[in-house]
Amino acid sequence: MLKAVLTGVATVGLFALAPVFYANQTLLFSAMMYLVLAQGINVLYGFTGYLPFGYVGFFGAGAYAGALSVLRLGLSPVLALVVGGVVAVLVGVVLVPLLRLSGAYFAIANLAAAQALYYVVSNPDLQALTNGPYGINLAVAYNATASYAAMVALLGLALATVVYLRHSRLGLALRAIREDRISAELAGINVVRERTIAWLLSALLAGLCGAAFAWYISVFYPETVFSLNVSIFAIVFALFGGAATLAGPIVGTLVLYGLYSAIGISQPEYFQLIFGLVIVGLVLFLPDGLASLSERAGFEVP
Amino acid sequence: MMRQKGLAGCVAIAALALIGLGPAAWAADAPAVLKLGTLYAGSGAFAVPSTSEHEGLKFWVDQVNAAGGTYVKALGRKVRLRLIAYNDRSSTTTAAPLYNQLITQDKVDILVSDFGSVLTSVAVPIAQTHKMLLFDPTGTGAALFSPDNPYVVLCSLPTSAIWPYALADFLKKFEPVRRVALLYATNDFTGSQAATLRERLRGSRVELVYDQGVATNTSNYAVLLHNVEAARPDAVIEFGYANNDIAFLQGLQASGLKFKMVFAIFPGQLFSLLRKNVSEAGLAYTYTYPTPPLLAYNKVNYGPGLEAFLREYRQKRGEDANFLTVAGYNTGLVIGKTLATADKLDQLALRRAVEQFSGKLFTLDGLFKVDRSGAQVGELLPVGQFLPSGNGVKMQVVFPFALATGKPVYPAP
Repeated sequence: MLKAVLTGVATVGLFALAPVFYANQTLLFSAMMYLVLAQGINVLYGFTGYLPFGYVGFFGAGAYAGALSVLRLGLSPVLALVVGGVVAVLVGVVLVPLLRLSGAYFAIANLAAAQALYYVVSNPDLQALTNGPYGINLAVAYNATASYAAMVALLGLALATVVYLRHSRLGLALRAIREDRISAELAGINVVRERTIAWLLSALLAGLCGAAFAWYISVFYPETVFSLNVSIFAIVFALFGGAATLAGPIVGTLVLYGLYSAIGISQPEYFQLIFGLVIVGLVLFLPDGLASLSERAGFEVP
Repeated sequence: MMRQKGLAGCVAIAALALIGLGPAAWAADAPAVLKLGTLYAGSGAFAVPSTSEHEGLKFWVDQVNAAGGTYVKALGRKVRLRLIAYNDRSSTTTAAPLYNQLITQDKVDILVSDFGSVLTSVAVPIAQTHKMLLFDPTGTGAALFSPDNPYVVLCSLPTSAIWPYALADFLKKFEPVRRVALLYATNDFTGSQAATLRERLRGSRVELVYDQGVATNTSNYAVLLHNVEAARPDAVIEFGYANNDIAFLQGLQASGLKFKMVFAIFPGQLFSLLRKNVSEAGLAYTYTYPTPPLLAYNKVNYGPGLEAFLREYRQKRGEDANFLTVAGYNTGLVIGKTLATADKLDQLALRRAVEQFSGKLFTLDGLFKVDRSGAQVGELLPVGQFLPSGNGVKMQVVFPFALATGKPVYPAP
């Protein structure tokens, strides 16, 4: 427990202080954003085994809900963050029946739901509500420093959530469900309730993260916040580090996103080849992520 | 303890990977060379237009450096340019940190955005925060411009909402057209054009008998074409990205349907691409917005005329330039004119310089004129029609009548 808390505090501290030493704040913000999303994936996939390919749907819903509550309702950006999270949870509630599916069926249905959300938001007939395909300009609330601080706080919340799940009865129940749903039920675990909690927690993190992203980036289009790349990156980062751990997604995001950025800048012509080889190597030799390597060597990963 | 050290090591290495992106040393007070930073999409959805546009900008930089640099009034001498370009792979979430990288790490003097509104959108607030003037070649979305942001200038296209002005006037004034069908992709670029057309046709003698938005990734127009045909329109206006236009025109050929008038955007912008995918026969009698090189601006007061540029580009690069190459090159010309006009090198001085020559600058891309928000309002797009010529097609401008080089062939045979 102490080790996990220390790891979380160190990570939050790293990002809180990093802008003092490194001026590309957007890069740091993006790294944090993916880290929060990777932990959101971790909450769902790591603890229950449901892999949400359409996770970006919650992110986009949060981004739009947050931005529109500033523009249409005149809320403060901080309150808008909360609205973003709440709307993502409401979307999660609507999509709860998807949890009846499993494996690839769940992943595909979840992806379809995210696409449906994208088409609803970008529908020109909803221009009065969402501004349709014409994008959002949130310049009126733009504040890079405050939105960066908000993302640091969200990172703390995401890490605290995972620490809690790692060391609570709820987390234990979820892991039991992941291993064998029927055995878990026989042991008295309320499978439907527990996995719904994990699903909504995961949606909440993505929604809050989307609203913070909207605040930070301030000008965006539906294709920006509903881009499938966001889901894929978060999933790959979580899996690369090792799901169901706190440190796995942290290491996965920092290493892979760092690599992604570094190669993309220094060797753009080799980027796809190198990044592709890293991913293939991961799938072939480390299917349980870097955390499994560490555990094989006798180090317990928090 | 060992385990904690191992983990801390991993985090430290990862952090170094982030930090190791390379803070570049730069002396702001000794501009032996001016750094011009931009992004391009080497892969992904925007790769084709983005790389063409980037090639145009690169060509301008090469040309300037070959001539010993660009004249910088604030320094009273010519200064060579260094182009720093990163590949954003058509991703906005990748583009945002890269724009920031250009400003904070590479400390560029001039910032140029990538192709189109989506990849430009993330640059606008970043440039504004860092008080950098953003030279935007082709990001035409209305959301990018606001009167209280002086740090953006649209260089090579008008904002998308004003593109269909001439088209709407043509439809209203061209007697045989009374029933119009509108089919458009639901994105900012084409959705705003559809809204403008709808607005400008309202209350006229022209009736909109079909008005349908489709997803931008639509690749099969078979059913939609028959729906359009059922509305018996005199003119069919299809607004889409290049992939939409190709799918639409291919579908039209395959369906065997004939409309009296068909309009699409990209035959006039990416003629080679459309010719390759639709064939010249498929483009014959199609209406479009002709842009350079289909529309030749040779009477210019800055930079080469269009024909001279096309000749030199072909000679040096061994290939033909398309409109987006011209747009990238034209952005370079606007930058060159800005540097030659500004008394100081600070970013607001550059913006004031743009206002000084706005409305007076004629380049190979036409009149450069921006409004208070930095949006381009000078280049109005005429309406042209491809007509069969020998084994291919040729472009003739049909509206505005004052610019027309021929009369529209209507109905299409």
